[in-house]
Amino acid sequence: MKNFVIIGNSAAGISAAEAIRQKDKKSKITIISEEDYHSYCRCLISYFLAGEIPEEKLVFRPEDFYKENNLNLILNKKVVKVEPKKNIIKFEDKTSLGYDMLLIATGASSKFPPDLKGLKKKGVFGLRTIRDAKEILNLVPSSSSSCILGGGLVSLKAAYGLLKRGQELKIIVKSKFVLSQMLDEKGAGLFMKKFQEAGVEIMTARDIVEILGNGDLKAVRLDSGKVIACSILVVGKGVNPNTDLIKDTQLNLDKGILVDQYMKSSIPNIFAAGDVAQTFDLVYKNSVVNALWPNAIEQGRISGLNMIGENLKYDGSMTMNSIGFFDLPAISMGITRPKNPELEELVLFDEKRNICKKFVLDKNHLVGMIAIGDISNCGVFLRLIKEGTDITSIKNELVSETFSYAKVLDLVKHKDEVFIL
Amino acid sequence: MKKLYYDVKKCLGCKSCEIACAVAHSQNKDLFKALKEEMLSLPRKKIHRSGDKNFPNSCRHCQEHPCVDACMAGALVYDQESNMVLHDEARCVGCWMCVMVCPYGSIRPNLKSKIPIRCDKCKDEDEPACVRACPTGAIIWKEADEENLLSSNKTE
Repeated sequence: MKNFVIIGNSAAGISAAEAIRQKDKKSKITIISEEDYHSYCRCLISYFLAGEIPEEKLVFRPEDFYKENNLNLILNKKVVKVEPKKNIIKFEDKTSLGYDMLLIATGASSKFPPDLKGLKKKGVFGLRTIRDAKEILNLVPSSSSSCILGGGLVSLKAAYGLLKRGQELKIIVKSKFVLSQMLDEKGAGLFMKKFQEAGVEIMTARDIVEILGNGDLKAVRLDSGKVIACSILVVGKGVNPNTDLIKDTQLNLDKGILVDQYMKSSIPNIFAAGDVAQTFDLVYKNSVVNALWPNAIEQGRISGLNMIGENLKYDGSMTMNSIGFFDLPAISMGITRPKNPELEELVLFDEKRNICKKFVLDKNHLVGMIAIGDISNCGVFLRLIKEGTDITSIKNELVSETFSYAKVLDLVKHKDEVFIL
Repeated sequence: MKKLYYDVKKCLGCKSCEIACAVAHSQNKDLFKALKEEMLSLPRKKIHRSGDKNFPNSCRHCQEHPCVDACMAGALVYDQESNMVLHDEARCVGCWMCVMVCPYGSIRPNLKSKIPIRCDKCKDEDEPACVRACPTGAIIWKEADEENLLSSNKTE
C-alpha cells in the first residue's frame, strides 16, 4: 500500500492515475485540481467557445470515473508548495498533505506580455480554462468587436470561436504570418486567406502597446499608433509551465521541470509529466517542453507505471499538432521551417485545391513535415520521423497522392503481422 | 478474438472489399441506394499498391493504440472485452489527432462528415463484409492466436 498524490486533473494526471490503478488496485491515489471541474479537455474549449459542442462534451472521462477507479479527488484547492524533504505538499489554505510518490502534472497557464499595460482590465482574457471561455461568452452579448493578440493556434481558435459568435474580429500578430510555430509562410497563407474571406482583419508585423479603458476594456493601441475599439481581447502568446510550487526546492528546473528518461525529476519519489515537464525532443535532440495532448497522455502513463516500480523508458516527445479552420485541415510535425541550409525541402503547393505538402529531410531521414488540405497518412510520416527510417528509396513518393503505408512496409521497424507475403 | 489478415499473393486489387465495406456501412446497405445518400458512405478499407503487390489496409485495433491516447475528446476507447478500438461518433469533434498518430495510416479523415473513417470489423455481423466480398480469398478472418501459424507461412 502506497500513498500516491497527483497534482493536476488533466491529460497527464488522469493518464497516470489510470496506469497506476490498472496494476495496483489497493494503494491510495489522490488527484488534486485547483479548478472545480471533472476531467475536462482544454483543447476542446475553443469548440465550446464556438458553440460547436455543449459543456458536457468537454469532459473526457465518464461521470463515475473517479469512483469506478477508487480515486480520491480534491477540487478547488491550489497547491502552493512542495516540500520534498518532508514529503508533503502545502495548499493555499495552509493545510498540507503527505505522499509517498508525487506526480506534478500541473500543466501550464496562459502567458501575458509582462510589459503590456492594462492587462487587468475587464475584457482581457487568455483562453486556457473553462472559466476563461465562460467569462468570454458572458461578455459576447454586450460586445460587437473583439481583438486577438497573437497568431498561434490558440489565437486562431479564439478568433474562429468569436467569429462564430458574431463578433467583428481583428487579429494582431507580431510575425509576418500566423501559425508561425506550426506552418511556413505559404501554408499559413492558405489559412490567412480563409480568415480574411470570413471578414477577419489580420494585422501582421504589429503589436499592442497599450490596453485602454477605465476598468472595462474599451480599445487597444497598436505600435503604429492606431487605436482599435473592442470590448474583448484574447491574448494568445503561448503558455508558461506551472512551476511556482517547486520554487526553493532542489528539483531541477529549466523552462519546465527537468525529468530523466523515466519521467523522474531530480528527486527520486517525484515525477513530472505533461505541459509542466521538460523532456527530450526526438527531432531537435534537445530538452524542451512539448505541450501537447498525446505527449501528456503518454508521459502520464509512463510516470504512473514507473511510480509503481516499473522501469519504462520514455523515448521522448515531438512537436506536432493538428488544426482545422473553415473545413481546411492541417497537420504538422517536427522541423517545418528549417534554418539549417543543409536540410532539404520537398514541396507540393497547389493553391487552387488548397493543398500543401512539405517534407523536411536531413540527408536520408525525414525530420519534419506539413500537410494542409490532404492530411491522410500523417501517422505514417510521424512513424518515419520517430523511427529515423532511411527513406532514400521512397523519397520521390512522399509528396505523391499515391503514397501509402504499403510503400514503407519494408522500411519500418516491426514487420507487419497482418500481411502474408 | 478474430482479426483480419491478408494473403497479399492472392489480392488482385479489384477493390471489391472497398465497395462491400462502403455499402455495409451505408444507411440503405444497397449499392445503388447508397450512392444516392446525402453523406456518401466511404470504405473503411483501402487497397494500396506498392511495386506489383496490393495491400488492403484498415484499422488493426492495436493493443497499443496511439489513436486512443491522442483522442482528446474521449471518443476513441479501447474495449478490453472485445479487444477493439471503439469510436463514439457523438463525442468526436473531428480534430484529426488520431489521423496524426496512426502508424499505419489506417484512419482516414472524412472531411465532409468530420468523422474519422475506421474499420469496425462489421461488429454486428458474423463476419466483416470485406471477407465475404473478396473473390480470391485474400482476406482471412481468423482467431488472433493463429498468428504464429500465419507468420510461419511468411518465411516459406
